[in-house]
Amino acid sequence: MMFLEIKGIKKNFGEGDSLVEVLKGIDLSVEKGEFCVLLGPSGSGKSTLLNIIGGIDRANEGSITINGEKTEDMNEKRLTVYRRKHLGYIFQMYNLIPNLTVQENIEVGAYLSEHPLDVEELIGTLGLEKHKNKLPNQLSGGQQQRCAIGRAIVKNPDILLCDEPTGALDYNTSKEILKLIETVNQKYGNTVIMVTHNDAIKNMADRVVKLRDGQIRKNYLNEDKMKAEDLDW
Amino acid sequence: MKNPLNKRLPREIRGDFGKYLVVFLLLVLCIGFISGFLVADNSMIRAYNDGFEKYNIENGHFLTEHKMNKAQKRAVESNGITLYDQFYVEQEADFGAKVRIYAKRDNVNTVCLMKGAFPEKENEISLDRMFADNHELTVGDIILLAGKEYTITGLVALPDYSCLFENNSDSMFDAMLFGVAIVSGDTFAQYTEDELNYDYAWKYDVEPQNEAEEKTVSEDLMSAVNEEVALKDYVPRFENQAINFTGEDMGSDRAMMIVLLYMVIVIMAFVFAITTSNTIEKEANVIGTLRASGYTRGELIRHYMAMPCIVTLISAVLGNILGYTVMKNICARMYYGSYSLPTYETVWNAEAFLETTVVPVVLMILINFWILYRKLKLSPLQFLRRDLSRKKKRRAVRLNPSLRFFTRFRIRVLLQNAANYLIMFIGIQFAYVLLMFGLVMQPILEHYQELITDNMIADYQYILNMPVSEMNDKYKLKMLFSMLQFEQNVETENEDAEKFSAYTLRTTDESYMLEDILLYGIEPDSRYVHLSLTGDEVYISSAYAEKFGLQKGDTITLKEKYEDKTYSFTVTGTYPYEAGLTVFMTRDHLNEVFDLGDDMFGGYFSNTEITDIDEKYIGSVIDLDSLTKVTRQLVLSMGEMMKLVCGFAILIFVILVYLLSKIIIEKNAQSISMTKILGYSRGEIARLYILPTSIMVVLCVLISIPVTSYEIGIIWKAMMSGMMTGWLPYWVPKQAYIQMFGSGLVCYLVVAALELHRISRVPMDMALKNVE
Repeated sequence: MMFLEIKGIKKNFGEGDSLVEVLKGIDLSVEKGEFCVLLGPSGSGKSTLLNIIGGIDRANEGSITINGEKTEDMNEKRLTVYRRKHLGYIFQMYNLIPNLTVQENIEVGAYLSEHPLDVEELIGTLGLEKHKNKLPNQLSGGQQQRCAIGRAIVKNPDILLCDEPTGALDYNTSKEILKLIETVNQKYGNTVIMVTHNDAIKNMADRVVKLRDGQIRKNYLNEDKMKAEDLDW
Repeated sequence: MKNPLNKRLPREIRGDFGKYLVVFLLLVLCIGFISGFLVADNSMIRAYNDGFEKYNIENGHFLTEHKMNKAQKRAVESNGITLYDQFYVEQEADFGAKVRIYAKRDNVNTVCLMKGAFPEKENEISLDRMFADNHELTVGDIILLAGKEYTITGLVALPDYSCLFENNSDSMFDAMLFGVAIVSGDTFAQYTEDELNYDYAWKYDVEPQNEAEEKTVSEDLMSAVNEEVALKDYVPRFENQAINFTGEDMGSDRAMMIVLLYMVIVIMAFVFAITTSNTIEKEANVIGTLRASGYTRGELIRHYMAMPCIVTLISAVLGNILGYTVMKNICARMYYGSYSLPTYETVWNAEAFLETTVVPVVLMILINFWILYRKLKLSPLQFLRRDLSRKKKRRAVRLNPSLRFFTRFRIRVLLQNAANYLIMFIGIQFAYVLLMFGLVMQPILEHYQELITDNMIADYQYILNMPVSEMNDKYKLKMLFSMLQFEQNVETENEDAEKFSAYTLRTTDESYMLEDILLYGIEPDSRYVHLSLTGDEVYISSAYAEKFGLQKGDTITLKEKYEDKTYSFTVTGTYPYEAGLTVFMTRDHLNEVFDLGDDMFGGYFSNTEITDIDEKYIGSVIDLDSLTKVTRQLVLSMGEMMKLVCGFAILIFVILVYLLSKIIIEKNAQSISMTKILGYSRGEIARLYILPTSIMVVLCVLISIPVTSYEIGIIWKAMMSGMMTGWLPYWVPKQAYIQMFGSGLVCYLVVAALELHRISRVPMDMALKNVE
């Protein structure tokens, strides 16, 4: 059994004449520790799929099983526990708490785990030692995103969900962030599912899933995986 | 691991210091004052209640025409009571006040020494503490009474005069013009018999079990005493205002204070809730992320509730400390300013602690929890998308495009902040109720004085003293003789004098405070009461009609003071008389109803002083001075308090408007920043973001003034009905409305200036930095 199994996921928005089928039956399996990239144009349903995997949105049909646990049967309380135990989230916007320092923002994530990673060590991995006592508004976009990544991974989640993590960053900073996610994936062995519309990022993934109009158009394992450092776009 | 979100809390205080400081100060002051009040109130009530035993307060007293002999005393005491002589003399001080002087009591109604020493030598006196305070007299001073100098050796509290009612029938006490004092037994022995009033206090050998039994026992006792002696007055303790008024009044103030506190807490809770809602809107993305990461709704609710609860808790604790130390003394002074209470010891008051600490925190928790629970009920995704409306599809209100852009913009700001403005309206309402109460109290009293002056029946009303015994059927011969003698001696040559009959009955409607109603039997062609009365027509005074909501055709039922016998009268009309609760009928009718005899009369109306009737036949004189006693005492005891109330109301007004307009500016900080970038001037931005609040404040103020006036009218009537005897008509001078509007406007201008400053501090890069 695969670590993450997605079967027949359908998702509609609206009703009647204005009904829009965003996901039209998604089947997908991801191995533990795999780096999976969801690619696709705007409106293809990749973020919706990510949100459903993350338990912050509900599918109309289908099932998601993570490490043997089905999410569709869970009530809101259990879903929260599920997210707390298994998931880490990174968004395009960093969504850091403005009046907490870098270290404290990371601790916000650590608080959720019974066995969090060592915060100091993680700050080192993130390259934020010099900034750990700064507030978010004293940081650059890249540093803020590093901090957001730190917050997501400090609880050592089984799955790291990344929704356009480099969407708001310039080329160099984006590469830095991708390198960081790559490091995290390798160092801590988390499964990474990343939504992006940057085609180049597929090259660093283990698995590439291309969506269009709510359906998977392509789903393949990347044989020629590149290092984030070598990506170019 | 401690929740790292908690680290935000001290920073939140630093970041929004102004807001937390004003809320904190308001809560500390409010809780402090009310805690102090409750502690003082409770301690003093305890001292007052303990005083019944500690000072062996009488079960009642009666006044007799003549000194009782031993046989009479024995006969009276055979009814299960012990009598104590409590004679007194009344002397006028050089400053016009009447002082009732007793010999130092050792057995019953023993005296509490507040300061100095008891009088021992001749010409030494101990004055009632409050009376002395009112006349700025203290130990060592000299007081001139009936031309004789007395040195004040001490200030005392007489337990049977915790409230300085001169007569039990008075609607209000007057601690300016009436006081009590004690002298040594030797000094008292020097007073002549003519000066003495034969007052006897009694204690039951076996205390009645309950009030009903006490009433029956006291009524039986009165009949028994009446058989032995000529009674001038008979006052069982449960009817004695000088003893009971204080306890009743202290209890009623307490309820009012607690309601006041809870209203402040509820308003502050809503202010906090609105502030927090605003923060939640601002931090929607963060909340979405936290929720997506696994933070539970409960954790976030607890986090956002922490600040209001901590602030309230700290305020409550500090407020209580302030209450037990400083405020308690201030509040005790307020009581000492109104009542002649004995010394008290501060008593730890668990109930006050509960009411001023636990209840405010619980209220804060409940209100904030309710609002936060609703607010945080949204899914993480909705927070991430900033889709914070619980309604499915929230459409923008359509505004007429022909409206000017600025007008439409302002309407949008108004709509966006509707909840804030609602709280603002409620807060302004609350502040205005307090403000108006503070502002109208004195005018109401002054107006009442004017009314009394304008429609006094006569400059003097002499109520003749007809001893109760003279009415006793059992001694018909004695009664006949007394009546003849009385009739001869109460005739006057004064041409202004006009006879009237009088009788006092008591109300029976228990939803109001029971009070005495004076029934006048007037001459058919009276020069003083302008009524053409015929037959059994009965008019009631306008004050009576207003207080009890009576009108033509209604039936009033009154009862004998000490008996169950009731009388019913149908109201023919209302006579414009505000000075008292009275009933008017023809003299013949009154004499017939009460079986007083055809020629019987009880007093004179006169516009000039009657000097040819012996004072001993004059029970009381109703003149301007006696009629304005209520207002004088109220001004004395409530004047300072009303200023405090006004100050507090203005403080609440400023704080609320400041907090809510601050929220509005903060909520729109990003848009303000953007308008700055676009090139809008400071004035234009103010017109967009401050003017809507200004319009709302003015509207709230304008609506609040008549609404408040109406509310105060209702409160006033309820207060008059349930807490006071007599009737003070509700009246608001135009000036009070102007003051309310003016103070509201001035307060807002101060706040608006602060907001203008706040707008100027919104940085332009805010809009650029926070673009998503």
